[in-house]
Amino acid sequence: MAAIGIGLMMTSKLGAQDILKINGSSTVNPPAAEAAEILRSEKGFAIHIDTQGGSSGGISQLADGLAQIGMSSKHLSDDDRSKYPGINFVETRIGEDAVAMIVSGDVWEGGVRSLTKEQVRGIYEGRIMNWKELGGRDQRIVFFNKEPGRGTWEVFAKWIYGDAKLAPPVSFLEVGGNEEARNKVASTRGALSQLSSSWADGIRVFALSIGEEAGSTLDPTPANIASGKYPMSRPLYLLTNGQPQGMTKEYVDFLLSERGQELVRKHGYLSLNQLE
Amino acid sequence: MRTLFGHPGQQTFLPRGVRCNWTQVLSLGFTLLSVVFLAGMVLLFLWQSLPVWRHSGVDFLFGDRWFFRQSEFGVLPMIYGTLVVSGIALGVSVPLGIGAAVFSFEILPSTYRLPLKIMVELLSGIPSVVYGLLGILFLRNWVYGLLTPFDPLSGDTLFTAGLLLGVMVLPTIMTLSDDAFGSVPAHQRLAARGLGLTRAETIFQVVLPQARRGIMAAVLLAFGRALGETIAVFLVVGRMDNVLPENIFSLRPFIEAGQTLTSKLGGSETHIAYGDPLHWAAMVGLALVLLAIAAGVTFCASFFIQGKEEPDATSF
Repeated sequence: MAAIGIGLMMTSKLGAQDILKINGSSTVNPPAAEAAEILRSEKGFAIHIDTQGGSSGGISQLADGLAQIGMSSKHLSDDDRSKYPGINFVETRIGEDAVAMIVSGDVWEGGVRSLTKEQVRGIYEGRIMNWKELGGRDQRIVFFNKEPGRGTWEVFAKWIYGDAKLAPPVSFLEVGGNEEARNKVASTRGALSQLSSSWADGIRVFALSIGEEAGSTLDPTPANIASGKYPMSRPLYLLTNGQPQGMTKEYVDFLLSERGQELVRKHGYLSLNQLE
Repeated sequence: MRTLFGHPGQQTFLPRGVRCNWTQVLSLGFTLLSVVFLAGMVLLFLWQSLPVWRHSGVDFLFGDRWFFRQSEFGVLPMIYGTLVVSGIALGVSVPLGIGAAVFSFEILPSTYRLPLKIMVELLSGIPSVVYGLLGILFLRNWVYGLLTPFDPLSGDTLFTAGLLLGVMVLPTIMTLSDDAFGSVPAHQRLAARGLGLTRAETIFQVVLPQARRGIMAAVLLAFGRALGETIAVFLVVGRMDNVLPENIFSLRPFIEAGQTLTSKLGGSETHIAYGDPLHWAAMVGLALVLLAIAAGVTFCASFFIQGKEEPDATSF
């Protein structure tokens, strides 16, 4: 039995060297998965890519050595670094994304096209509970909160409260990955959630503009994101433990190359040269 | 006949009078191994959850607020969610499963019985994530439409999760009940029919009472499976924290979202908890509570199955 145990340990150790494991944010996943597919067919790389637990899942799996690359849709906080003191996190930015408040079709048709920061705050704190109060139809607001640890949630909380730690304790329906958020918002009347704006298809789910005090609105356009005017934008990262090497480096370099950046743009995000 | 390891009951190197063979040695070894694993797991859970017991004490079990950023950990709403979801699942699957077993064993000609049984058992081979996706795509929308008169917040409800789980545990109840009917001697059915009982009377008066223990075992086994199911429930239960009705018998929360022990454990919080001793202890504590409930059910199962004597009603 001991021999079997040692055998298993050896194979898993070998496996860790041969297979490139990537985990994390479901926002970063579409271009990253397509890049993995290309490297698989062109160079014969063995790559496993998954979105367990979102950005914080990527960080914890990287720190535990379960993955060689973590995908993250938020800037690494000091808390994250102090949780894993032995890990030398290196962030490689591959693009930029914007988060928007998204609604279901009936809310959009009801005439709600933008929300101000104060209005969103009112909804989050339970003071505003009906779309009627926001110029829409008489319909309860069904808020699907992104679960804690998701990069999207942190960007949202930072926008409303300045720091994710200052967000008040709330209990809402929770959604995890982007697919789940989009699907559940699309199929629920009066639904609202936070989602990467490029995932709002404008057919079943709609991205709202951000209303400003002067009455003007801000849309997550490339120009507004690049200039920093749009408040809920965030960098997309590949995280590694130390500088990427070997297969990891080839993968990261591919996403930074013109072909890789093309994939970033294809999935609705801003590539690095659009930000300059 | 002699085999490599000797035949059963053959005396080996043990002292005279002690009968032993390889089968016994191996099974004893593996039984001990499983006991050691179980004990080790319980000890590990207790050890790792120690900080939360120190922090909250019994409020961990009976508190109704879970806000990890404020270091408040109360598990009661999740225990409630788990029991409600599993209860609904049994409410759906027990009548259907036993009914299907009655049909397949007592009514269907035996030529068709085996194919039917195989098909039902195939149901239990479907991965639970597939059930969950079907739940997201169809069931939650169907339930949302069905419940519209009651104005639920969305299609993610305890009821949806319970219904989905009911379908998932149906094969367990049906095949085990079917086996229980098989253990009722055929001559008793013949005798009952010979005495002039109709087929329905035979089933209700003779077969069901005698198969009672087996059916009870099937139900409790299904309950155990329902308690531990994660992914499928996770996708349709809504994962809304701190849902606990003031009136525990109120049915309203059934059609609202909730949280179960497993959906909490399967969520992203475990990733956040890692590295924070108190939060991690609370997550491990959840696992310990789930383990305790499952152990309680198993204990009840063995009590029910072994503890009761058959009444004389069926002897004639």
